[in-house]
Amino acid sequence: MAKDRSDPELDRELTDLPPELRWREWMRRIEAVLFASASPVPREDLARVVGQGASVDLLVEDLAADLEGRAFEIAQVAGGWMFRTRPAYAPAIRAAADVGDQLLDLSEFDVAVLAAIAYHQPITRDGLKDIFGKEISRDLIGRLHAQGLIGTGPRSPRRGAPYTFVTTEQFLVAFGMESLRDLPDREQLEDAGVVGEGL
Amino acid sequence: MTFAQSDHTSDLDTLPRMPVWVTSARAETLEDVAFLSGAALNHLHLVVGREEVPQALLRDRLALRAAETCMVFSGRPERAGELRDAVHLLRPGDLPGPAGETYLAWWRAVERSVSIKALGRALTSLEPGQIATWLDAGQGAPVGRAARVLEVVLTEAPRGEVPALILADAALAQALGWDQIVPLLAAGLKRADLRKRGEDLRIACHRALTFSAIEAVRLAADLARRAAHLKAVAPKLRAKGAAEAVAMFLTRDAVAPAALPLPDRAARRLCDRLVDLGALRELTGRDTFRLYGV
Repeated sequence: MAKDRSDPELDRELTDLPPELRWREWMRRIEAVLFASASPVPREDLARVVGQGASVDLLVEDLAADLEGRAFEIAQVAGGWMFRTRPAYAPAIRAAADVGDQLLDLSEFDVAVLAAIAYHQPITRDGLKDIFGKEISRDLIGRLHAQGLIGTGPRSPRRGAPYTFVTTEQFLVAFGMESLRDLPDREQLEDAGVVGEGL
Repeated sequence: MTFAQSDHTSDLDTLPRMPVWVTSARAETLEDVAFLSGAALNHLHLVVGREEVPQALLRDRLALRAAETCMVFSGRPERAGELRDAVHLLRPGDLPGPAGETYLAWWRAVERSVSIKALGRALTSLEPGQIATWLDAGQGAPVGRAARVLEVVLTEAPRGEVPALILADAALAQALGWDQIVPLLAAGLKRADLRKRGEDLRIACHRALTFSAIEAVRLAADLARRAAHLKAVAPKLRAKGAAEAVAMFLTRDAVAPAALPLPDRAARRLCDRLVDLGALRELTGRDTFRLYGV
């Protein structure tokens, strides 16, 4: 299946180049692909633009070393890689342009619901209602869904087999996590003063 | 209608039991733990090869147990019941969620013969080259080899317990000449063991495998007995498709009535009847969305 998508015109092996230049060219191709993509690019896709035996991980590592000292870096997120500006430049970016809302346009309550889903997934709308003490509107769920932050999970074994909600890879990307294990645990939340110890 | 239920326990002793000196010993040194794990694994090797043991079912149950342990390792609250639900109530196109993903990985890992391709299906986030490198990381005797795979994967991917344990079990199966993975390591290890390295980790692996092999032999004997009973009552079933249904129960941990090759009502009745005959158990304790298994 993967083969079908590779462009027959693209010379992957680059046999006419000396090994050193060949490696450089592969690195640049990976750089180009990551630059052009708005979402993380999985390993299989990158493997398609370099030689058969070349290790994508090593190429990415070399590329990351090349980017030392630049304002952006390669981040490994959700089983792929993407370019990301370094956190140190966040104030500069915020001051210059209104890019903060590009990816996420979420209210505080949206984020709270999203966090509840992240921690308690798979969870149904009824389960969310139990947590917040009020009905969670379909609009809100729809909004999170439309942004690709949540998806539908296994059905809940209850009357009517309601959908459960789970977070997606996009969720991990948006919040800079590699896996759900990166969610702050109870202790970290207490340290940050987000939850009280009495809760 | 009543049926005599005593005769299916009589063949309990046809499977050789684990010697008491293996099950009751307490070992401290590497030499002693290695000796015990070797004895236990050899015994398991003989038992697993027996015809009366439903092997696919045994692997499926052990996979569920391994997935459950992985949930504990990663600090998630899901246990066997939730894992079964996550997979059996998943509809095409929906996401399995974190617990479902782990169970699916184990499920796919034990489904087919050990190969890079089969492991690639189970561990979708890894590239085949990486799987091959990690799988061949160890050398020497089976347990040392598995321990080395575990060590290498956990060093390079500190939170990759699931691939680490699946690949270590795969390396063990290959070293023991088993065609398919029999999930053993995870269920015997403790969370703290995963942070050990070198000889400490090897000792932990020997201990874990001794424990798991003993448990697996017990489970195999139990499943062999239940399977024999199910086969014995199978001729009493007159429903169309009953033979296929029984074959499914003999190879899978749990089956939802809707997955059986019978009309809905007939499938539910068949399950109820098999429960009445003492050949199946209902696994969820619910009135709806039930799951059945031997």
